[in-house]
Amino acid sequence: MTPQRRHEILPPSRVLVTGASGLLGRSVAARLAALGYRVTTFQRSPSALPEVRDVRGSLSDARAVEEAVEGQDAIVHMAAKVSVSGRREDFEQVNILGTEQLFNAAWAAGVDNVLHVSSPSVAHAGKSLVGAPAGAADPEHAVGHYARTKAEAELIAEARGSVGINVLILRPHLVWGPGDGQLTRRIIDRAKSGRLPLLGSGAPLVDTLYIDNAVDAFVSGLRGLPRIAGLPMADRRLVVTNGEPRPIGELMMGIAEAGGARRPSLRLPPAVAKAVGSVVEKVWEVTGPHEDEPPMTRFLAEQLSTAHWFDQRHTRAVLDWTPRVSIDQGLEELARHIRRTGRVL
Amino acid sequence: MVRWWRSLPARGARLPAEALRKTPLPGMDPRWSRLVTAESSDGPHTFHVLDTGPLLEDRGLRPTGTILALHGNPTWSYMWRAVLEASVQHAGPLSAWRVIAPDQLDMGFSDRLAHTEPPAPAATSYRRLSQRLADLDGLAAALDLDLDKPVVTLGHDWGGAISLAWAVRNSETVDAVVSLNTAVDHPTAEAVPPALRAAMAPGVLPSATVLTDAFLRVTLSLADGGLPSEVAGAYRAPYVSRWSRGGIGGFVADIPATTQHVSRNVLEEHSAGLREWKKPALLMWGPKDPVFRDRYLHDLLARLPKADLHRFEGAGHLLAEDRDIAKVLFTWLGDTFREGETVTSVSPPAAEEVTALHHQLDQMAASWRRDAPAAVQLTDEHTAQVSWAELKSQVDSLATGFYEQGMRSGDRVSLLVQPGNQLTAILYACLRLGAVAVVADAGLGLKGMTRAVRSAWPDWVIGERPGLLVASALGWPGRRISVDALTPRTARIVSAEASVERLLRRGSSTTLEAVPVPDPEAHAAILFTSGSTGPAKGVVYTHRRLGALVALLRHTFAVNPGASLIAGFAPFALLGPAIGATSVTPDMTVTKPATLTASAVASAAAAGEATMFFGSPAALANVVATSEGLSADQTAALHRIRLVLSAGAPVHPDLLDRVQQLFPEADLHTPYGMTEGLLQTDITRQQIHTAMETEQLGVCVGRAVEGVEFAVAPLDELGEPSESLSEPDADPGVLSEIVVSAAHLKAGYDRLWLTDRKSRRDRHRGLLWHRTGDIGHFDTAGRLWIQGRLQHVMTTPAGPIGPGAVETRVDTLPEILRSAAVGVGPRGTQAVVVIIEPCPGHRLSVGSSPLALPELSRRVREASVDVPVAAVLVVDNLPTDIRHNSKIDRTALAEWSDRVLSGDRVCAP
Repeated sequence: MTPQRRHEILPPSRVLVTGASGLLGRSVAARLAALGYRVTTFQRSPSALPEVRDVRGSLSDARAVEEAVEGQDAIVHMAAKVSVSGRREDFEQVNILGTEQLFNAAWAAGVDNVLHVSSPSVAHAGKSLVGAPAGAADPEHAVGHYARTKAEAELIAEARGSVGINVLILRPHLVWGPGDGQLTRRIIDRAKSGRLPLLGSGAPLVDTLYIDNAVDAFVSGLRGLPRIAGLPMADRRLVVTNGEPRPIGELMMGIAEAGGARRPSLRLPPAVAKAVGSVVEKVWEVTGPHEDEPPMTRFLAEQLSTAHWFDQRHTRAVLDWTPRVSIDQGLEELARHIRRTGRVL
Repeated sequence: MVRWWRSLPARGARLPAEALRKTPLPGMDPRWSRLVTAESSDGPHTFHVLDTGPLLEDRGLRPTGTILALHGNPTWSYMWRAVLEASVQHAGPLSAWRVIAPDQLDMGFSDRLAHTEPPAPAATSYRRLSQRLADLDGLAAALDLDLDKPVVTLGHDWGGAISLAWAVRNSETVDAVVSLNTAVDHPTAEAVPPALRAAMAPGVLPSATVLTDAFLRVTLSLADGGLPSEVAGAYRAPYVSRWSRGGIGGFVADIPATTQHVSRNVLEEHSAGLREWKKPALLMWGPKDPVFRDRYLHDLLARLPKADLHRFEGAGHLLAEDRDIAKVLFTWLGDTFREGETVTSVSPPAAEEVTALHHQLDQMAASWRRDAPAAVQLTDEHTAQVSWAELKSQVDSLATGFYEQGMRSGDRVSLLVQPGNQLTAILYACLRLGAVAVVADAGLGLKGMTRAVRSAWPDWVIGERPGLLVASALGWPGRRISVDALTPRTARIVSAEASVERLLRRGSSTTLEAVPVPDPEAHAAILFTSGSTGPAKGVVYTHRRLGALVALLRHTFAVNPGASLIAGFAPFALLGPAIGATSVTPDMTVTKPATLTASAVASAAAAGEATMFFGSPAALANVVATSEGLSADQTAALHRIRLVLSAGAPVHPDLLDRVQQLFPEADLHTPYGMTEGLLQTDITRQQIHTAMETEQLGVCVGRAVEGVEFAVAPLDELGEPSESLSEPDADPGVLSEIVVSAAHLKAGYDRLWLTDRKSRRDRHRGLLWHRTGDIGHFDTAGRLWIQGRLQHVMTTPAGPIGPGAVETRVDTLPEILRSAAVGVGPRGTQAVVVIIEPCPGHRLSVGSSPLALPELSRRVREASVDVPVAAVLVVDNLPTDIRHNSKIDRTALAEWSDRVLSGDRVCAP
């Protein structure tokens, strides 16, 4: 081992992945296992992944959490409550208390490295983001239960990250690709049934993240965690995207066409400003990693009628990573996948 | 006596912090404030003074010089806060300017005097100019100025006049003067600006200035874009009640608007003394000032002909609020008082020494060619022709005629004459006489032209009737000479005192020998830039530098005496006499080169036996478009053309190929240059095709012509050019600002001191350089590729990219007429946006959205190769400049794209 290598988390290290039932969690767990890491997953349902140890349970179950954490070298914390409906208490239970519980267990078990997965929405509320940096989590201004509780969770992660545990915070933005049952499938389904009218100009630039790049970024972040932990906390929260902002209308048309659907028509109704939110809301429903159903809020809809793209220079430098698959290549890959399998998933 | 008048009591000076109960004033450090008691002509008075001396002392810095800054009426020392702030910020062991800015007596937070009577020229309790000068003497003594170090005065408004007068009085101690908008001269009461005259009417003065704050409020409203309310509040702070406004009225009453005024002699004595001022002087001017208008600037320049001047186009009376004057001031002070370093940079030698532009004309008129045509002008009715002998005689008659009229070497002459034989004669008469031709063409639009003419402030306007009418209507400066003889009535209307026609007919008693030949280093012409990137700038040429251009043209294109050229872009015709070549102006609307037809060129070629055709890309395009159906004679005439030259903008290679078919015997050249240096590189049609095979970014403009030296300033990741220059071959392919040195470059920018200094800041290899503001790269074969303008650079995470790098490739797509590439987002992480103007008949966008069809976006991205394109938008028409209709307004497009791509409501750019 070179001295530098010693500061990396390499196979066959033991890694716990929480929330491995969503596309991103499952893909990361599978990739880590394939690379030779010893992977444990933690969620309520079985992961159905080969060569992976499942611990089934909920983040609010202290015993189960302790069991999952025991003996790990690192944790990728992806589990969260992402749904649109639900009581505030439920969000707080999973996202805030669950995160705290996980960090407590990690601390107790001597697990030094945590990759905390968050969302760009923790720092930005409802205004257009143009080449934006990753600001600090701001629970006071975050809109909706999901964003607010994730913001609180990030503050917990930050606090733990400054004393004893190596913490890296990644905020992927709009993950899509083959296997994505949320965003990708919904766009295609609706386009096929002719229920995807794109309103507004469709022009706002939006950053997205192709699934394979997301997995690469996570693995790179996990491997470099001990090195990255030497940076100031503000430099350790990273929005992760393809770094290829595109007009939202173009992306949606591209995804619909990759799925074999007719291109949705773009219309400019008279009351553009008002209407955009409510209709985009119906089709564009997912923000980041998720465990169950996506949040479907007016807030998100309004966000997507404005620009949402981010400065990726710092992210790429810290993660020592560049996206392997461009958006155009990703769309081709998606089309191939759908032609081969007949479905998105 | 004004009915509502009440006596104003005296009151002592107070620190603003105390008077305002510690309410902070934006931008002002309370530590600058102090009270100073000084002895004046009528005993001691206490002044509130802003002074950075103590702060510098605290930091252990000894001042290396002192700036004494004097405010005007009705402001106070607060107006200098940016200068004080900058002086503290930039202070170091080598340079630390102490800024002292007193509040004048009865003003700001200084002592208030008692006034029993309202302000009026005869009311003695109010401060007079002579007393204000004595106040300054007292203050200078009390403030312990370090007279061993440079002392500089700085003033604004009446503070400008007072500070200049004080400097004249103390010319032993004062080392430099600086002034913002002011006036030192009031020839007659009528010349007092109307804006001020209203407030000076005896019945109005006290109520406008003292009883109410009308005068104060009007002054504060003059700021460009309005003052922030806290700043306006700070200006009003010492003048909130009538009891504190006596000084405002007193100041207005002390304007010496009549010959009997008590301050008149004092002002005149000192403003006359200003003509003797031999030390450095800097003027900073806001031309939108309704009070101190450009004519006062003109007067100051007449007194201080060596003064440096920066005229901030668009700024007004409150210049110190409108613009960053501190930057200009401290840069200038640094240059003026830098010790030891006296670097003189030189231009490379000219191709040939040509110092008198009329010289070749004289030669031709004395040669066997004297009766051959010098200038031929075709119109649809007839062909006007003037021989060399006739042209020389016209030029000489006009030179002596203008001289008799009073025109002198150095006078500025605005030429509002359509290109043609008459303009040629008038221009060469000016050149012979040494009058400086101011050329602002109609392409700037009326507004742009007015701005240009005001900034150059011509002493004379020579124009045709329509031009003179416009000049009168818009109040342009200068004595008027009409081209045609006018009826007395019309002459009166346009104030024309002579006409070119009569001067030519009459002849003159003055001999040509009596008119001195201008110095080669004297200014010969001021040409205005197109203004596509900000207000048009005046570019100054000396006789020697224009001579170098003429020599270069002769050498580069072998345009020799006896040659004949068709001027398809009208200004080219003006060069003919200097070269000794016949210039042929074809039948065309001179201001619209795109109206030139192939048959007009053929007729011109036949009439003038021309062998060369000079045109612009727009003219070439129309010549090609109208080339069907030429007669055999016309075709033969075009076949005699040996050289086709296109300048002004790049020409598409496809168009060049079609031009070649029309002129099969000609060499096609598309040189590159700019108003500041008209010819820098050259490339032929064949060379363009060869260069394009290398598939580099941008437009290839070829190699440096003889005598032109290039250097490059590589751009950093934020698109900023390097301060140090390197050789073009040091790092081939690196995107850089292009920097050039040559004998025929501009002598400078007119009345834009800082702009000029920035453009020539480099000292590389001891040469005098010009920063072109163009970006591009040199390839390994020494060819220059241009990618656009510095201010349009896109700073992507992958590095800086010029718009041309994308546009030249996108423009090759068949359905696209032209395109523009702009960056949106923060510098360093910008996204590239391509905006398309489709060919007529193509629908390329999605519905009514500006978003391009996905197929088009895909093809644009393919064409852009390794430049990542975030979005492709489609518009009906790209916004362009008026003059060439070819320079795309990328700044406007970037703002529009930014709005559209942020999710704002969509409208046309």
